[in-house]
Amino acid sequence: MTISEAELDRPRKPSLFGERQRFMLLLILPAAFGLAFFQILPILTGANASFRDWSLHDPKMTWVGLKHYFYVLSDDGFLKVVLPNTLVFMAVSVAVSLLLGLCLAAILNRKFAGRAVLQTILLLPLMVAPVVAAIMIRWMFNDQFGVVNAALEAVGLSGQPWLAQRWSAFAVILMADIWLWTPWFALLLLAGLQSLPREPFEAAAIDGASPWRVFRFLTLPMLRPVMVVCIAIRAIDAFRTFDIVWTISAGGPARSTELFSIYAYNEAFQAMNFARGSAAAMIGAAIIVVLAMVIFRVLNRWVEVSK
Amino acid sequence: MAEVVLKGVGKCYGPVVAVRDFNLAIADQEFVALVGPSGCGKSTTLRMVAGLEEITSGVVAIGGRVVNDLPPKDRDIAMVFQNYALYQHMSVRDNLAFGLRNRKVPESEIAAQILRAAKMLGIEPLLERHPRQLSGGQQQRVALGRCLVRNPKVFLFDEPLSNLDAQLRSQMRLELKELRKRVPTTSIYVTHDQVEAMTLGERIVVMKDGLVQQVGSPLDLYRRPANRFVAGFIGSPAMNFIDARVAAAGDDVMIATEGLSLRLTDKVAATLRKHAGNAVVMGVRPQHVMLDGAGGGNLLRFQATLSTSEQLGDQQLLDARLGGTLLRVSGIDAALKLADGTMLTLAMAPENMHFFDAVSGAALG
Repeated sequence: MTISEAELDRPRKPSLFGERQRFMLLLILPAAFGLAFFQILPILTGANASFRDWSLHDPKMTWVGLKHYFYVLSDDGFLKVVLPNTLVFMAVSVAVSLLLGLCLAAILNRKFAGRAVLQTILLLPLMVAPVVAAIMIRWMFNDQFGVVNAALEAVGLSGQPWLAQRWSAFAVILMADIWLWTPWFALLLLAGLQSLPREPFEAAAIDGASPWRVFRFLTLPMLRPVMVVCIAIRAIDAFRTFDIVWTISAGGPARSTELFSIYAYNEAFQAMNFARGSAAAMIGAAIIVVLAMVIFRVLNRWVEVSK
Repeated sequence: MAEVVLKGVGKCYGPVVAVRDFNLAIADQEFVALVGPSGCGKSTTLRMVAGLEEITSGVVAIGGRVVNDLPPKDRDIAMVFQNYALYQHMSVRDNLAFGLRNRKVPESEIAAQILRAAKMLGIEPLLERHPRQLSGGQQQRVALGRCLVRNPKVFLFDEPLSNLDAQLRSQMRLELKELRKRVPTTSIYVTHDQVEAMTLGERIVVMKDGLVQQVGSPLDLYRRPANRFVAGFIGSPAMNFIDARVAAAGDDVMIATEGLSLRLTDKVAATLRKHAGNAVVMGVRPQHVMLDGAGGGNLLRFQATLSTSEQLGDQQLLDARLGGTLLRVSGIDAALKLADGTMLTLAMAPENMHFFDAVSGAALG
């Protein structure tokens, strides 16, 4: 086949709906439908509702402007309990599971007998549904029938009403979350460790670096990109945690362990004020967008430095 | 400064033998090149000296001390890796300082050592940069610097120039040679490039399939290869090999193959006489085959058909058909015009001919 020069010179017109494009559109159609109907539409509905008088038992749907936003932002429960709870939960859960995950990954990265077995056992929490784990833990810490109190009393200590006090309940929730997510960190960090080049470590062995210096000056900096991705994903994910808290304490006692998502849920479906719940959700969304941007900015610089 | 001794060193990976019975005594301040095709065990041998691979059998001693069970850091060695193995997230200065800081050397001395090494390698302006901001040649200089600052007993080089492009490689080769004059530390240099081995090594160890084929000076290996493998591996373009048969008739010893029958004289005849009737492999380097040998009474002349010629500008390479084999001839005047198919009269001196056992490949003589 010969192509004339004029043909070659002519800029190719990108046809918007060529056969290839039609096929690609067809492929993303189901996903686009799902996204539109189950994500975008509800978000828009919620956003719309947050500006209206929209209680579930009497949905007048009249426009009230920012009234619900002012309510949420001046609610002591939101400002002094929910917001600090959420941020502390996010920071502690991510930090501790990152640290534990890193230790586990470092251990699993060494060759030793029974490593495969240990690896499987350590990864078990990943296979447990969060709600199931939460129910288990709720029972473990039950003040009358719980195994924790039974164990304490067996050694002569007095049992505690774990879930009836704010900070102990919060600690139990945190523990559950950390237990659930540490293996996830361990798995990803282990993959990261195993993909590191071998030579710098050999050079360090010849250079006489102690294991701690190797970890501190080689492993950690080289692992930073993986850690950054893990932290970013988990931090955003932790912000919207619902299932564990709902199952273990349902935000109690006296709404003292409520996280932001529980707060929004309670406002919308317990207090039956759909509008107020939506407003809380919108505020949460705004917070998490800003937070995500900050996290990415900070972590990006961190990776940049480590390069 | 130390001598390195390997005695009966072997390495197995399960049933796979990587290195077999490696014996070598490297003198203090000597530069030894290990050369061979990939998978011949040269790197494994080096890594056993470094302590990065466990030694399956035998003994490695550095400076009179057996180091078999010593970790790399206690062997007082420094190593340059093929891909530089720099600490990517540290500045060049910190890369150089890392090994000294590990050993708790005072910072003032570290600074002095870094300055000394950086000056020697011309990397002073790069000290505050990061490795990723450097070219391959600069990175390899930094890797060299990391070795120099430590003043180790032995330098180990694991194909240090293989990641560089051809031009940079020959330049770095020269720099290594220059550096060597100022820092005459005992060195083991692994390479698959026979040119590097020939130019850098004071002694060369040729390896193949985990076995040492020959140890000797560059000229030794070139002139007196111990077997067909060494003969073919050392020298470029590679030696020609021709399957032939030795025949003795009275006082004459003849070497014959399809399209060729040469009467051998003197020493060569004497050495080959006892192989009369046997199949041998005759080897001759392309540089040692001459066109229409002008002078020299003792030259052996024979006819061959020109198959192809390759113009290199400064010379021509010829491929001449001799019976069933192609004979490569180099160093032909570039201006000479030769049509393919021309019948050439070629000549070679008997002392430039090599003979190998057809089965074992060992040099005859």
